[in-house]
Amino acid sequence: MLVALILLAVVLGSVAFNFLSPWTFLELGSNWALIDFTVLVTFVICGVAFVILGVYMAWWVYKYKYVPGRLSEYEPENPKLEARLTIVTTIGVVVMLAPGLVAWDQYVRVPPDATELEVNSEQWKWSYRLPGEDGIFGHAHNKYITFENPMGIMEGDPYAEDDIIITSQTVKIPIDRKVKVLLRSKDVLHDFWVPEIRAKMDSVPGMVTYFWFQPTLLGEFDILCAELCGRGHHTMRGEMHVVSLDEYETWLDAQVTWAEMKAGAIPLSPEAMQGRSVAESNGCFACHSLDGTRMVGPTWTNLWGSTVQMDDGTSLVVDEAYVRESIAEPGAKIREGYSSEMTPYEFSDEDIASVIDFLKSQIQEEEQVEQPESVE
Amino acid sequence: MTETTAPGNESIFTATARDWSSDVTTFKGVPWGKAMMWIFLVSDTFIFTCFLVSYMTVRMTVTDPWPNPSEVFALAIPNELFGLQFFESSIPVPLLLIAIMTFVLISSSGTMAMAVNMGYQRNKKGVVLLMVATALLGMTFVGMQIFEWSKLIIDEEVAAWQNPMGAAQFGSFFFMVTGFHGLHVSAGVAYLLIVAWRVGRGHYDHTNFEIVEITGLYWHFVDLVWVFIFALFYLW
Amino acid sequence: MATAEIPYQETVPLHHPKTWLGKYVFSQDHKVIAVQYGITAMAVGLVALVLSWLMRIQLAFPGLLEGFGPDEYLSAITMHGMIMVIYLLTAFLLGAFGNFCVPLMCGARDMVFPFVNMLSYWVYLISVILLLVVYPLMLFTDVAPTGAGWTLYPPQTITAGTPGADWGIVLMLASLAIFIVAFTMGGLNYITTILQARTRGMTLMRMPLTVWGIFIATFLGLIAFPALFVSAVMMLLDRLIGTSFFMPAIVSLGQKLEYSGGQPLLFQHLFWFFGHPEVYIVALPAFGVVSDLISVHARKNIFGYRMMVWAIVAIGILSLIVWAHHMYVAGMHPYFGFFFATTTLIIAVPTAIKVYNWTLTLWRANIKLTVPMLFALSFVLTFIMGGITGLFLGNVIIDIPLSDTYFVVAHFHMVMGVSPILAIFGGIYHWYPKLTGRMLNDTVGKIHFYFTFIGTYVIYFPMHYLGFVGVPRRYYETALGGTFPDFYPPSAHYLNIFITIAALVVGIAQLLFIYNLVHSYFKGEKASDNPWGANSLEWRTPQTPPSHGNWDERLPTVHRWAYDFGVPGHDTDHVPQDVPRKESA
Repeated sequence: MLVALILLAVVLGSVAFNFLSPWTFLELGSNWALIDFTVLVTFVICGVAFVILGVYMAWWVYKYKYVPGRLSEYEPENPKLEARLTIVTTIGVVVMLAPGLVAWDQYVRVPPDATELEVNSEQWKWSYRLPGEDGIFGHAHNKYITFENPMGIMEGDPYAEDDIIITSQTVKIPIDRKVKVLLRSKDVLHDFWVPEIRAKMDSVPGMVTYFWFQPTLLGEFDILCAELCGRGHHTMRGEMHVVSLDEYETWLDAQVTWAEMKAGAIPLSPEAMQGRSVAESNGCFACHSLDGTRMVGPTWTNLWGSTVQMDDGTSLVVDEAYVRESIAEPGAKIREGYSSEMTPYEFSDEDIASVIDFLKSQIQEEEQVEQPESVE
Repeated sequence: MTETTAPGNESIFTATARDWSSDVTTFKGVPWGKAMMWIFLVSDTFIFTCFLVSYMTVRMTVTDPWPNPSEVFALAIPNELFGLQFFESSIPVPLLLIAIMTFVLISSSGTMAMAVNMGYQRNKKGVVLLMVATALLGMTFVGMQIFEWSKLIIDEEVAAWQNPMGAAQFGSFFFMVTGFHGLHVSAGVAYLLIVAWRVGRGHYDHTNFEIVEITGLYWHFVDLVWVFIFALFYLW
Repeated sequence: MATAEIPYQETVPLHHPKTWLGKYVFSQDHKVIAVQYGITAMAVGLVALVLSWLMRIQLAFPGLLEGFGPDEYLSAITMHGMIMVIYLLTAFLLGAFGNFCVPLMCGARDMVFPFVNMLSYWVYLISVILLLVVYPLMLFTDVAPTGAGWTLYPPQTITAGTPGADWGIVLMLASLAIFIVAFTMGGLNYITTILQARTRGMTLMRMPLTVWGIFIATFLGLIAFPALFVSAVMMLLDRLIGTSFFMPAIVSLGQKLEYSGGQPLLFQHLFWFFGHPEVYIVALPAFGVVSDLISVHARKNIFGYRMMVWAIVAIGILSLIVWAHHMYVAGMHPYFGFFFATTTLIIAVPTAIKVYNWTLTLWRANIKLTVPMLFALSFVLTFIMGGITGLFLGNVIIDIPLSDTYFVVAHFHMVMGVSPILAIFGGIYHWYPKLTGRMLNDTVGKIHFYFTFIGTYVIYFPMHYLGFVGVPRRYYETALGGTFPDFYPPSAHYLNIFITIAALVVGIAQLLFIYNLVHSYFKGEKASDNPWGANSLEWRTPQTPPSHGNWDERLPTVHRWAYDFGVPGHDTDHVPQDVPRKESA
């Protein structure tokens, strides 16, 4: 009796949970209603099967409990019943599979009027490229990547000049416009995923993968990485703003093209250049941004000489001693709002000096902030 | 299912069905060791299949140029030997070395088959001699493979991680797959010698010398795998 | 039925060891090897259990664990997954149950090659040591366990952004390769024993379903593990000597690496060609065990035995052509989606048949609610839940929003975590009396059952809904108060806390089980030869526990299938396999 009740409670409890709990898909923000429909069909068929089987189990456990001396019915098999069950199951499977395959067919066939958006992924940030006015991307490959050319665009490709480069983690797309997302990766597997859009796809280094969608909901959505990509996986968070066409045009006009980006690169002193390559080859930029964006670690923009808050309530001015300590012993002082996730690095004095030179070059205000005294 | 207890003219299907629905053994008259070796070889087949399928996928998709096997694996016949000049200059012959290697290995399958036959006749001396001959042929094969490897590594500067002629995967797959096969041959040589020694010592006198046939199964398998490697690495 | 052939084992004498070491340590007796496998697997499983606690605590109460950062978290998920799938489930179901059940149920004296069988265990032990040695090493060196996820996807596995990318991964891959050697040695034995060393009258279609499950699972293992072996070798070469099998040209954390032209997807194909059959390597023996448990304790023949056998065979074959359903979002050619979604959903048919037949076995039965039966029943319910969520994920388009979320985590824990574990528990409660000659304590067993079944269900059932909400798996922080803003309703966090508490309770409840195992071994009630009234041969041995060699001079003769329960015209409600048929019948 108890066992039968527990089995029944588990089955009915599951059904109740499904209907009463507040957790379900986020509001659909794209054209992929067919996905949600297929999920619903599967839910109904599987739910009915689950309840029927569970209730029968509970009922029979109760009804046929052990009575000493009673014999169970001897029926090794019942081919007719088994055949019927097989047919019913097959029909159920077909009903679930059919809308799924139809939807998949739509998913992999990109409509010709879709505009292209290239998403570049790397540990642990997103960046984007649009084909520009000519509608064609310049050729790009990981082997061309340098610090100044973060997307690996091939030198001298005429199609590349008007490509729009968006290095911030936020991208805007106009509502109702079909978008073909092209995915590239600089290093490891990542996966571009916006839960409201439903669609996702891995980005694989050495390949260009794709999917498409049509946003139908205005708003600001999180872009998550859905494929394990190392220790910063959970921090890899971009933003996709679905906006009106007007707002999109305004935003687009403010973005720089590849040609402008090349022309506008701020020249660095040799010392600062050296510091940048030290930082780059140690992977610092995976966690520290150079454009003010918040990542795993604090941004380096305007960091040098600024006054920063620590999580123990104290504050200090970023000077050589602090930088040195933060590299060798990152856990010693933690900035407010950040957690201790950095591993210690052993830098030579020369390297530290060059990194400091680079930090100085990243001060973007008009006036130089006051130099701390400890620096010569 | 070589020896069924089947009466006379039964079709292979009914015989198979009867054996599979019988008790005690499924493969009638097959010793345990032989059954086990067959199953092991099925598993081993999948190892080589995975290696070769990986190789084929990479070969078909890699964008860097793939070296021409008939040049890379050519063996130059020297123009002089012991101070005697034969030709104007040395002549590169495509696939010469590999043809000899293949010939040696196939021949070893022949001697192995003869050893198995000797085993059935309970001719211990014949078994030992032929198995040792098979092992010697196997060693020759491995020796030539070492020569070929050193030629590639020293003369052509191909390594598992680099290849001056194009795709690095050429060296990677070549050394990995032929190396793995070479390990199989070396293990087979050791296996042959141990079994031959034990046969000579009279260790298997109370049996029907199935062990010789089991060893033979492994050896033929290694040869068969070589045929595929040969086709896919040297002829493609 | 022809019974003229004399089993070879009847004529060869067994080698009986004289020393203590030979009897209990380097033993060639399949029952001792089974116990060795079982204890080792359970011990390593406890390590994985503790790791899962750490993960759950971090997810529910971020920052509570000092020094448990993203590196440690990723290492924990990787080691937990690998241990549970390979070193616990595969080793337990095939190493322990396989070794114990196959010779006894087939009526053999031992495995056909006891020495190879013994080697299998010791090589397995080496692989376990190599896997776990990373923890002591962590204390003295900077070697860290790999945090690549149990799927070990390159390039991430061996690049600097992943913990343990230098030596942790090498230890892991080496351990896997050695495990495969151990498995092959054991697996060859199981298959050869089943095919060539059954007793008189034991036809394939009279074998208990446990043996069928182990048979097909082992066969799958021998076909699938080579793919893992090959990918492990290739990745080791990529890592150690710089080949580019799986590594394209990449810029890792600002450094251009020396690789070019490799294919990350090739690894995924190889891995899942192993990885999907692996699911069934774990599931099929569990199916078999549960079929036997339900039939014995419901005192009724298993419904549709032939269908059950063919379903096992069909699932085994189909499982080899569905692997890419793990890769729907991996970027492979989109048309693969049609093929693999179809094959995957076809597998649902034989699997559903098995579930129907288990349920139908209960119909008009005479059900004894013993502890093994409770576990078997809970297996069926859990497996239904895990199976139907598999229909979601197998259907390619539904996998798109749900892949790499907690829905997947919940699904595979239900279907290949909890279900096989429940089957293992049921099997242990069932066979413990035969193995030790003592019964396990019933009350403790029932308490253990309720905690385990209800506990795991309330852990994993709600977890599916976290997946619907969109919580991605393998995230170090998904909780409120984390560093990054949340995109899902805050209420989901309370679900997270609830799941963690349930997980801690279920974990602690396992101590009851260990207590029961140890206590009953010394103090348990003495078991009779056949305490459950079962029919299969292992309950018909002359001694309990069976002696080395299992049987007397003569092996038993089988006259019927293993499921003659409630046959009209007999004195008892069960007729063991070695009871001759009446002339009239």
